[in-house]
Amino acid sequence: MQTQPLSHPTVLSHLRALYALIRKDWKQYWRYPLNAVSSIFQPLIWIVPVYFMGLAFSENGKALGFSQYSGTTDFMSFILLGTVLESFINAVFWGMGYALKNDMDSGVMESNWLTPIPRLLILVGHSVTNLIVTALTSLGMLFFGGLIFGFHASGDVFKAFLPIIPMMLGLYGFGFAFAAVVMLLREANTLVDVSSFLVQIFSGSNFPVNALPRFLLPVALALPLTYGLDALRAYLIGTNPILPLHWEMLLLVVFMFVMLWIGTATFRSLERRVRTLGTLGQH
Amino acid sequence: MKSELSVNSLGTRGFLADAYALWAVVRREWIIFVRYPSWIIALFIWPVIFPMGYILTARALSGVDGSGLTAFQNTTGLNEYTGYIAVGTMIWMWQNIVLWAVGYSLRNEQLRGTLESNWLSPTWRFAYLLGSSFPQLVSMFMLMLVSGLEYALLFRVQFEGSLWLTLLVIFAAIPSVYGLGFAFASVVITVKEANAFVFLVRGIVMVFCGITYPLAMLPGWMQSVAQWLPQTYIIHAMRTAALSTEGLSGIAFDLKMMTLFGVFWLAIGYWLFATMERRARQTGAIGQY
Repeated sequence: MQTQPLSHPTVLSHLRALYALIRKDWKQYWRYPLNAVSSIFQPLIWIVPVYFMGLAFSENGKALGFSQYSGTTDFMSFILLGTVLESFINAVFWGMGYALKNDMDSGVMESNWLTPIPRLLILVGHSVTNLIVTALTSLGMLFFGGLIFGFHASGDVFKAFLPIIPMMLGLYGFGFAFAAVVMLLREANTLVDVSSFLVQIFSGSNFPVNALPRFLLPVALALPLTYGLDALRAYLIGTNPILPLHWEMLLLVVFMFVMLWIGTATFRSLERRVRTLGTLGQH
Repeated sequence: MKSELSVNSLGTRGFLADAYALWAVVRREWIIFVRYPSWIIALFIWPVIFPMGYILTARALSGVDGSGLTAFQNTTGLNEYTGYIAVGTMIWMWQNIVLWAVGYSLRNEQLRGTLESNWLSPTWRFAYLLGSSFPQLVSMFMLMLVSGLEYALLFRVQFEGSLWLTLLVIFAAIPSVYGLGFAFASVVITVKEANAFVFLVRGIVMVFCGITYPLAMLPGWMQSVAQWLPQTYIIHAMRTAALSTEGLSGIAFDLKMMTLFGVFWLAIGYWLFATMERRARQTGAIGQY
């Protein structure tokens, strides 16, 4: 009888490992059902202050000032879409960076690292559950958000998916590099929180980036997420894009390859450094 | 002749032994706090970036020609929004950090697997909770100081109020903010789903207490709920003390309410701690997570 031990990895064994990782995270996630339910309502709670603030700046429910920057007076649809994509950004940041920190704290990081599985696969595995949950919660969020605040999308839903694909893949590249930094510094909370928050601000999840002060605008334009969010809104709710849409799509594809390359190279280099230092099992 | 050797072991609790235990917890928490240097980044960056998200949204809502700002002025009677948002979000950050740091202190011990062994030591158990609050309080004072400086320098917020009244508001707010943290920490060692509870409590503060808008913008039933939350009074008092020249008379009612809520939440916090601690021991679930 011929057996295929794990020490001779194949595509199938990698897929099994990936499935095991996803299953473990899925089980752990639903073990705390209150946490799971709260993840639907949490993003909606975050936009309540924006909703009431927006009302204070509106006349007869129309944010006329806002439309001068964005091209729409429907600021809540604009923000709801931003919040949904923001959840995906968080899923990658927390799914990769924080999951490694959790493994460190629980003392399983070193043993996981000794298994003959590509390390990037471990990172991807950690983020998949988060992405599935985020996709489900986003649907719930759009449903409840639509009921509470009103959500009006008149554009092409299929076209709106086009910018999301390169954007998410590029985000994975960023996540690889980010996870490596967490591994080196052995601290995740502040890093994940601050980085995801900054990325959300500068990519314009809650406001059009052209409302940024002029000196901050280059930061926003350097982030691929800015174009992803901008294109998605332009397709779905007809906002004014900052660049022609075909240029935004091209930039997203270029960013995707660059981010994946940089992310993978950074992860490999920093991971080697952590193993040299021997701090993998520490927290 | 009979000689007796009096040994004051840890098994015999006394005031001094409790004080030692408290000091040991404070020291441990401080060492853990400074062990991860990213707190320095958090100290300088959070006060800027958290209100910045709201301030930039308000800027976008104002419009290129300021027509949105005119609507805001007509609706709220306020002339500017930057200081208003900065102070509101700063109080929210304080409560949020206390919920994570103090509220999570026992839960973290559960996760690390050290809660049960600590619990078996003959020490005053409330010291574990109280001890984790002191380093947190020191870091919060630093955060507020840095926030004030950054708001003035970067956001050009005009602090026209009184420094002493602002300090008075901070001291008056401590019992209710930390009392809520103690109550919260006690609940999560039994219920365990700490994240959901943090999201719930901070969400309530975010929705009802007017961190970015005047309470008059809320529907009547939401305003009624806001009256039962200490953070509503803390935010109002802090804005009045730091940004306006109304003086003590402007915050007298808020101070009274903050004192009442402070006594209430400290009592609830201690009672919940005693109840949950007993319950966790009876069910044998203190070490589980």
